[in-house]
Amino acid sequence: MKEKLLTLKEAASSIDDHSSVAIGGMSFHRAPMALVREMVKQTRKGLTLIGREEGLSFDLLIGSNCVKKALAAYIGFENLGLAPNFRKKVEKGEIKFEEHACQSIVTGLRASAMGLPFLPTRGFLGSDVMGVHNGRDLRVIDSPFTGEKLVAVRAIEPDVTIIHAQMSDPYGNTRIIGQMFEDDLMVKAAKKVIVTAEEIVDTDDIRKHPEMTAIPHFMVDGVVKAPKGAYPCSCYCYYDADMDHFREYLDLCRKGALDGYIDKYVR
Amino acid sequence: MAIPEMMICSMAREIKDGEMAFHGLASPLVAIAMYLAKNTHAPNMIYSCVAESINPLYDKVTLSTGDPALLRGATAYMTIPQAFDYAQKGKMDVMFFGGAQIDKHGNTNLSVIGDYEKPKVRLPGGAASAFLCMMAGRTVIWTTNHSEKTMVEKVDFITGQGFLDGKVDRRSLGALGLGPSKVITNMGVFDFYEKGMRIESVHPGFTLNDVLDNTGFELIVPEKVEETRKPTEKELEIIERIDPDQIRKVEFE
Repeated sequence: MKEKLLTLKEAASSIDDHSSVAIGGMSFHRAPMALVREMVKQTRKGLTLIGREEGLSFDLLIGSNCVKKALAAYIGFENLGLAPNFRKKVEKGEIKFEEHACQSIVTGLRASAMGLPFLPTRGFLGSDVMGVHNGRDLRVIDSPFTGEKLVAVRAIEPDVTIIHAQMSDPYGNTRIIGQMFEDDLMVKAAKKVIVTAEEIVDTDDIRKHPEMTAIPHFMVDGVVKAPKGAYPCSCYCYYDADMDHFREYLDLCRKGALDGYIDKYVR
Repeated sequence: MAIPEMMICSMAREIKDGEMAFHGLASPLVAIAMYLAKNTHAPNMIYSCVAESINPLYDKVTLSTGDPALLRGATAYMTIPQAFDYAQKGKMDVMFFGGAQIDKHGNTNLSVIGDYEKPKVRLPGGAASAFLCMMAGRTVIWTTNHSEKTMVEKVDFITGQGFLDGKVDRRSLGALGLGPSKVITNMGVFDFYEKGMRIESVHPGFTLNDVLDNTGFELIVPEKVEETRKPTEKELEIIERIDPDQIRKVEFE
């Protein structure tokens, strides 16, 4: 096994401009926010973001002009409100949004993780979400066995997947405690993987419970020690989501003061 | 009569004992309704959710309905891909969806107001809608803003499939489920009758005319319009116990 420890700065600079990046976590929970902030600081450009149900990670990168396109089923702040920068940039035509449903993100990632060009799913027919893709990534097919109409979802292969986990060893053997979301699929689907972790632990500790290793070292390209690396999102067993922080973000963005937020929390 | 409680009780009544119900993000009213159903008439209901836990024993509802707090006391853990597999087997009974627009055929829009490419308002997106609206045994749709803007003749964008144009057979499009069974709003409860939306009951405090005046299409009005059954003392007590922080009011602000 090879040690893969990186600093946040090194990890963010290893993500190329114009690459596609899948971001782990969901909504207010366990997104790799420290790495996202570092990407904002380094002014990454032209990214394509991939995720299922997303919040601050997507909205902050979009607001900071790092993004040209996003694929997701939901970008918002649940009952705190709409995602202000996502909304503004799409309404102004400054970014492209390819709306998926959760299942097509999951199915596309699964296909890539399985080394397949596509996988079929049920559902979708009758929804205008099909029309958004106009046959590019979602296409109606007939089951070769039953003749049923199904939807083929093109494999989603991110250039880079970034996730935040509770712990990893220096080689990338990663434990995720509690909710998995699609983090494991995103890892297996990607060309390159960066894990940020609350704690870097000894491999001897990992060896005591190998069944708890969600992601084996050979799937990981970089490991970053990032205590509070999901903040203001929650990190199960470590800290809760800081809802006041999200409220402050939304207040500032609604006033057009994203720069104020970035000055205070990112730079 | 307090509207959040009326809506929660109406939602809870849509869950039958033994069924699997599922809630997504941004759904505190649904989370409370599912808890209420489980602690009243549906003790064997299977509580499943976007927080990936089954039958959680949480102390109180959380502002985020995907919160890891919902793992506490759960009897099992089911990831979203696993839950979708189960739904695709036709085994998820009831799913709740909100709609920024809801039309007379029960289609929902959570995507855009206006044109998709140049929207007037870019909404958050439909999450699981385009899949689960066809897979769940039935869907229950809700809005806390019953108005002509929300209750429209035709949605700008069909994110979640209801009865589509009212003529097409959902099964010909691969639907496993029956489609929307109820629409629950801050003014009343609605069902579908010969493929049109019909008033089932009006909440206390509203009149039939309030409902008609605030709906952007022609509702089917039954001969006798019922009043929605008021929550019982026991139901109110359970709601207060699970939601001492009044998170149920957030969607009305």
